[in-house]
Amino acid sequence: MDVTTELSPALTRIRAQIGGVQSGLAGWAVELGHHLAGVRGKVHGSAIDALALPAVEALLGDADRYITGAGFIAGSGLVAADRSYIAWWQGPDLERVDALANFSTSSMDRYLKAEWFRVPFETGKPHATGPYIDFLCTDEYVMTFTHPVVLQPGGPVAGIVGADISVQSLERMLLGSLTALGPAATLVNKGGRVIVSAADALEPGDLVAEGVFTTSLDIGDHLVLLLDTVT
Amino acid sequence: MDHERASSRGLSAVFAPIRTGGLAEEVTRRIEQALETGLLRGGQRLPREVELAAALGVSPVTAREALSILRERGLITTVRGRNGGSFIIDGYLPSTDLALQNLQATTRLQINDLGLHYEAIASACAGIAARRADASDLHRLHQYLRPHEDTLLSWRLVDSEFMLEVGAIARSARLGRELVRMQADLGTLTVLPYTDDAFRESSVEHRNEVAGAIGDGDVLAAQNATRDLIHTMVSWLLRRRARELPVTKG
Repeated sequence: MDVTTELSPALTRIRAQIGGVQSGLAGWAVELGHHLAGVRGKVHGSAIDALALPAVEALLGDADRYITGAGFIAGSGLVAADRSYIAWWQGPDLERVDALANFSTSSMDRYLKAEWFRVPFETGKPHATGPYIDFLCTDEYVMTFTHPVVLQPGGPVAGIVGADISVQSLERMLLGSLTALGPAATLVNKGGRVIVSAADALEPGDLVAEGVFTTSLDIGDHLVLLLDTVT
Repeated sequence: MDHERASSRGLSAVFAPIRTGGLAEEVTRRIEQALETGLLRGGQRLPREVELAAALGVSPVTAREALSILRERGLITTVRGRNGGSFIIDGYLPSTDLALQNLQATTRLQINDLGLHYEAIASACAGIAARRADASDLHRLHQYLRPHEDTLLSWRLVDSEFMLEVGAIARSARLGRELVRMQADLGTLTVLPYTDDAFRESSVEHRNEVAGAIGDGDVLAAQNATRDLIHTMVSWLLRRRARELPVTKG
């Protein structure tokens, strides 16, 4: 790769768009942690709903970010010992996701074991999961960006906030910029799984074979842009 | 023209008769479904009327009505007092009697056709999965070969979860949705073969073959093994329907 690629407006756009999603989540995590810390006594599910909903409404209503679902999931300890809580909504009508799960320990397990909850909860670091088919909520092919929430700086992780973006939306958002970067420019996750590609031969969901691309650029902490194929 | 049609459909929805109890039935149906699939278990406390209403976005009156329907059907019991609430009855298990009635009421033609549809979708998923699986995909898939506990419910869960995992590895949202829909159409029927010890063990072998072929990246072998897995279930159901097999466990 030459210096001109690093300076290209297309690359700057891709970085800004992915970065915008992640910094938006980080800001929300701080704000929500602050509000939750201010709740007196036991934190009830209804209090979590009331604190989370306005931000979710703003995220789902923001046409530029293409977010299809968002919410907060409490780790055990916040609401009660050995209990979690899911406050997640999807779609323009803010449809509540799987509210019955809040009353069933066995169905709560599905969330607590999911990569997008487990990784930020255990490592205390933001994470991007996917692309994967979201059988729990939208049944769409999505990426889920999640961020840990702490009540005090440096304190234990109380839960996670997250946002789902459909791969279809990512394509609408990024394909123009990718094509501007080259005929085979491809956005993949750290595992080399195709998210969006300018090349017809690379389908979303495929794994990129090793050694095909000669240039790879980090896009944030979780995604990679591949350029310049071996000819 | 399209606009015309859309608005007349809208109007007929406005003036459709309002069925009282429709919403309560829907809430009831969801809870029954959660019981059938093992998401809710015997002895578990249900949310209070107000919590249930808020969670599902219905009025407290509707939630109360739903709870009273569930009580009448003998699925929940209500205890008064400070530690009270509504509980799923102890020892609740998905009913094999109900599944058997369902099997006898379904024609052989329907069972065959369901099987063909399921085979087509599932083997397509398996073929794509063989091209797309990575190491963590395979690790997850191998967790659904056999359940951790030897109960009917766990066997049935492993059966559906394994195939959904294959769908997840294929990463086609359309095929994935179709798989979910197929499993809903098969409904409680899939619990029946797992009352049979021999079937349980043969199902593990079949799932192992599917997982192995996906791990090898062998598209054709993955498709064929998936067809075999489903075909075995369908022929078990057909033989049971002809009363050639006993149901031993409930």
